[in-house]
Amino acid sequence: MNYDFSKPQRQSGFGIILMAANTLQHLIRALIFPLIIAFAKLDKQYLAYIGLGLLGLLIILFVYSYFNYRNFTFFLDEQKQEFVINKGIFNKTQLTVQLDKIQQVNINQNLLQKIIGIYGLKVDTAGSEGQEVSIKAIDEEIANSLREHLLSRKSIANNETSTPKTASVQEDIPFLKVSLGTLFKVGLTSNYGSTIALLLAFIYPVFHNAKEFLKAFDMDKGQVENAVESLFTLFSIGILVAVFLFLILAINVIRTLVKYFDFHISKHKHSLLISHGFFAKKNTLLSPNKVQITSYSQNYFQKKMNLLNMNLKQASSGEAKKGKDLESNNLQIPGCNPTERDELIKMIMGEIPAQGKTFLPNWRFLNLPIFFRVVFPVGIFMILWAYIPALKPYYPAAIIYFLMAIPMIFISYKRHRLTVNKEFIVKRSGIWDVNHSLLFPHKIQAITTFQYPWHKGVDVGHVNLHTAAGVIHFKYGNYTEIKKLVNYWLYQIESGSEEWM
Amino acid sequence: MEEFTNENIDLNKLPHYQEITLTAPHPNYWKVILINIFIFLFLTGAGLTLFLIFNDEVKPQRLFIIGAYLIIVILIFVLYRASFKKRGFALREKDIIYKSGIIAETTTIVPLNRIQHVALDEGIFSRIFKLGKLQIFTAGGQSGHLHIGGIEIEKARSIKEMLLRKLDQIETLAENQ
Repeated sequence: MNYDFSKPQRQSGFGIILMAANTLQHLIRALIFPLIIAFAKLDKQYLAYIGLGLLGLLIILFVYSYFNYRNFTFFLDEQKQEFVINKGIFNKTQLTVQLDKIQQVNINQNLLQKIIGIYGLKVDTAGSEGQEVSIKAIDEEIANSLREHLLSRKSIANNETSTPKTASVQEDIPFLKVSLGTLFKVGLTSNYGSTIALLLAFIYPVFHNAKEFLKAFDMDKGQVENAVESLFTLFSIGILVAVFLFLILAINVIRTLVKYFDFHISKHKHSLLISHGFFAKKNTLLSPNKVQITSYSQNYFQKKMNLLNMNLKQASSGEAKKGKDLESNNLQIPGCNPTERDELIKMIMGEIPAQGKTFLPNWRFLNLPIFFRVVFPVGIFMILWAYIPALKPYYPAAIIYFLMAIPMIFISYKRHRLTVNKEFIVKRSGIWDVNHSLLFPHKIQAITTFQYPWHKGVDVGHVNLHTAAGVIHFKYGNYTEIKKLVNYWLYQIESGSEEWM
Repeated sequence: MEEFTNENIDLNKLPHYQEITLTAPHPNYWKVILINIFIFLFLTGAGLTLFLIFNDEVKPQRLFIIGAYLIIVILIFVLYRASFKKRGFALREKDIIYKSGIIAETTTIVPLNRIQHVALDEGIFSRIFKLGKLQIFTAGGQSGHLHIGGIEIEKARSIKEMLLRKLDQIETLAENQ
């Protein structure tokens, strides 16, 4: 079905409910503890007033949401090739997005949207403003049609340059599907770091709030601390660590399953349609030429299972995007096998990087990490150890640290390498997760080379390639060769006419 | 379509970025840097003095603390002087090069067709000496930007105009393709 987007349109009427619910959620989150405390502490006669106040708040919320809905319009300016959103009650805002600046259009559905039966649409741009262009309530058909319109300019442009071969490919047949079993394996073998961070971020507020809660009831006599302490004495530390590890694994698996449930990628005209999610369904339409860095990583376990994680990095707009938004710039593909990886790389980069010239770092790569990560901390520990008797029984920890850190630094040195051929740059690095980053020279925005004065004699230097999706470092290489490479890359960037996005 | 050629490139015949002669910052810029260092040292020194006067516990060590402060002061001067000597920029037909660095010698190269926008910044002290700071922004994030200080304001303006003209050219070229 075709929709006319040239005239200003409103969102779906359900948007009012959604906006009210969103604001309410924020309010509840902010007010829940004060409210509970108020209920517990205040006289019963004031309860009626509090209830009335809350009711009034709810009405204001709905009125506010209604006006928000009334004042939110969007349309497509075909002539200027712009997408325009007008919004705001008191402060009117007009957001204008040039269509050729659009990186990707996401159609998402969170739990509430799923219940109401509407979708959210979000436009990712490469602008440095970091403004969010999103429509919160829209029907599925309208959303799909709008997405087509928003991305239409590019497909015309692509038609001219790409080979007609891809046009014959049937639409919307997934060429990559990630099964539940694979997701389970991925959950067992990767992303521990973010899960630990998540767990800590969850535990701390619970601990903190529990204390506040008890304080409010004048009951805080150190129960929380006592409970934690008795937990420590009940279990030995070893069991606690085991429980913690198990918890991390379990949460990791569940998180991966929920987030990447039913993950599949299909070709959609000249773009890739990536969709996944259990509760919140996420659809992302991505045009391959917007990908800045294609990377894949694999650790020891994953290698045994023939499993890889891929990451498609797009341009991020500097500091404006953090956390959640950054994730939308990094499209993760959990669990694909090498054949699927090659197919994806072919889709995005046109071909699989052929063999090229490999550059290895000098052994001086080891010096600084060994000094700052091993000699320095162990040295400080030894000085403290000599003077503080309480530290005496902990010297095995220092020995274990020493014995583990040295091989890890050595492995990171062995893994660090840069492979360059005429079309590609491939950077390999990592200790546990071995990461390969692939990019085209024309995606480079700026190049920095640097050298420490004491390395002048031995001809050792470093190079950083700044791209719109992050920096690629190559450290302790042969400086003469690096300079030659830089001259070559500059020649490629400056003589070529390929757009970086 | 233009005539298509695909000749073999001799890597050694490509222009060498490392052999370009660089324009050093204006000598007056050293004065601007000195003023800024003095303001910083004055503030920290004042803080340190107050700390030493009002804190009885550290009084026995005050000679040591003052000595450490003086060493830091000398170090700052030496390092800044060394880094000032290293600084320089060059404008080529297709890119802009800036060399700097306090300890390490850093060279950053931004191809003109990757510049997002250009700005000219005049600080209070720089204005007294008729100097300006040319800022060149790329999509490569914080570390990919160039801030070239100590250019005579007239020259900086003309460079900025020139870069903006180039940007326009590149853009129209891209649109006509």
